[in-house]
Amino acid sequence: MKQDLFQARHEPEWKAFESWLVGRARPSAKRRALDADGLFSDLDFPAAYRRICQHLALAQRRGYSVLLIDRLQDLVHRGHIVLYRPQPPSWHAAVHFFAADFPRLVRQHWRAMGIAALLFFGSFIGVIVALQFRPELAHSLFDAADLARFEAMYDPSNADAKLGRESGSDVKMFGFYILNNVSIGFRTIAAGFFACIGSVYVLLFNGLFLGGVAGHLTAIGYGGPFWRFVAGHSAPELLAIVISGGAGLQLGMALIAPGRRSRARAFVEAGIDMAKLALGIFAMLVFAAFVEAFWSSIGWMPDVVKFSVGGLLWVLILLWLWRGGRGALHAP
Amino acid sequence: MRLRAAGVLPRAAAWAIDFVLRMAVIWVFSILLVLLGDLGLALYLILLFALFWLYPVLFEVLNDGQTPGKRALGLRVVNANGTPVGWVPSIVRNLMRTVDMLPLFYGFGLVAGLIDRNSRRFGDMVADTLVVHLDNPHGHSSAPDVPAVQSPLSLPAADQGAIVAFAERARQLTPERQQELANLLQPLTQARGAVAVQRLLGMASSFLGRQ
Repeated sequence: MKQDLFQARHEPEWKAFESWLVGRARPSAKRRALDADGLFSDLDFPAAYRRICQHLALAQRRGYSVLLIDRLQDLVHRGHIVLYRPQPPSWHAAVHFFAADFPRLVRQHWRAMGIAALLFFGSFIGVIVALQFRPELAHSLFDAADLARFEAMYDPSNADAKLGRESGSDVKMFGFYILNNVSIGFRTIAAGFFACIGSVYVLLFNGLFLGGVAGHLTAIGYGGPFWRFVAGHSAPELLAIVISGGAGLQLGMALIAPGRRSRARAFVEAGIDMAKLALGIFAMLVFAAFVEAFWSSIGWMPDVVKFSVGGLLWVLILLWLWRGGRGALHAP
Repeated sequence: MRLRAAGVLPRAAAWAIDFVLRMAVIWVFSILLVLLGDLGLALYLILLFALFWLYPVLFEVLNDGQTPGKRALGLRVVNANGTPVGWVPSIVRNLMRTVDMLPLFYGFGLVAGLIDRNSRRFGDMVADTLVVHLDNPHGHSSAPDVPAVQSPLSLPAADQGAIVAFAERARQLTPERQQELANLLQPLTQARGAVAVQRLLGMASSFLGRQ
C-alpha cells in the first residue's frame, strides 16, 4: 500500500486518538472537543492504542517516511504513558496496607527482622546490664560533656522541668522528631545496600548508645525520670528501628546471597519490599514522634499510668505485627 | 519504543535546579514561619523533611515522572520498560539517594552513572528505573527548509532517518565536511560536492513531508 493511501485511510483514527489524549490531559479541552468527530469513549482507548501500535509496526516495516513514523511513535508513546500510568492512591488500599500487608511483609522477612532485633536489643540490654556492674564503663562510651548533658536532662531533683529535653515546646519537638527520627530510619534502610554493613552498624550503634544512656542513668539513680519519659514511645520507636535495620539487611542480602537470581534482579525484588517497609516505618515513627512530643514529656502523670500505657503499646504493636493480615484473604 | 537515557550532566543540572528551588522555598517559609513561634518552628522542620524526602517522590509520581528541575531539562523518570514510574519504584530510587550521595556530592551515584550504559545511579538500578530525555520537542525543525527532491530509490526507514539526521546537523558542520559526507552517497545523489549536499537536503525535506 502506498503511504498516501495508508495515511488517508487512518488519518481520522489518529486525529481522534490525539484529541482523546489532549482531552484527557485538559478536561476543559475535552468538553470543547466533545462535538468533534471520532472522539471515542475511555473504554475504547486500549483497542485504539493497539491499532495505532499496529500502524506503527506497519509503517516501519513498509519503510514509510520518517515523519509519519515519528508521528505514530509519538502517539504510541503518549498512549503508553496513559495506559500504564500508576493507580491513584486509595484510602482502601492504604488501610489494607497498614492492617495486613505491612505486618505480613515483616513476618515474611522474619530472619532479617530477627537478626536485626538480636543486634539491637542484644547490644541495648547488654550495655544496660554491664553498666549496672561496671558503671565506669560509661566513660568509655561517652565523653564527660555528653554525660553531664544526659544527667541534666533527667535530674530527679529538677521535678517541674519537662521530661527528656533540654528546651523547646512539645510542638517544636514534634517537628524535630519527625525530621530527625524518620530520616535516621530511612538512612538505616538504605545503608543496608552495602552488603548489610551500614544497617548492622546503625543497629549496633543505636543499641550501644541508647543502652549506654539508659544504663548510666539507671546506675547513678536517675532511672526514674528517664524510664518515665521513654516508656510511652519506646515501643513504636525501637521496633521501627529494628524493622528499618531488618529492611536494610534484606536489601543487603541481595548482594551477599542473591540465590538463583542475578544480583540485579535480586536487588529489584528486595527494593520493592524495602519501599513497602519504609512506608510502614514512616507511619510508626510519625506515631512515635507524636507520643514522644505530646505524651512522654508530661511530668506530673503518675508512674502507673505512664508505664501501663507504655506496656500497652508494646503489646498492641507486637500483636499487630504478629497477627495483622493473618487469615485474611489477599485483597484483589 | 525508543528511550534515550539521560547522561550524568543533564541529570546533575536538573538536580541543581531542584536544589535551588527547594532552597528558595525554605528561605521564603523560614521568614514566614518564624513569626509563628514554636508552631512555626515545628512546621519549618516538617517542611525540611517534606522537601528532602517527599518532594522528589510526589513530583515523580504525580507529575509524569518530572520534578521541576527535570521538566526544565526535558527529562523524565520512567520504569525500565518505559511505563510511568509508580509509588514503589519512586520511593526506592529516592530512598537510595542516601547511598548515591555518599561519600560526598553524589560520589557513588556519579561513579555508577559513568560506568553504567544507561547512566543509572544505584537508586535507579535497585528501583529498575531510567531517567530519559523527552522526545525532541522541536521536532525536525532544525533541518533546513529547501525544496523537496524525490529519492531515486525507496529507502528503508533507518536510511531515511540517517539522511534526516544529516540535514538536522548540517548547520553545525563546515561546508567542506558536509560535502565530504555527501560524497559518500554518490550512488544515491548522482553528484558530488555542493550539488550532492543540496540533493541530500532536498531528500531530507521530502522524507519530512515538505513540498
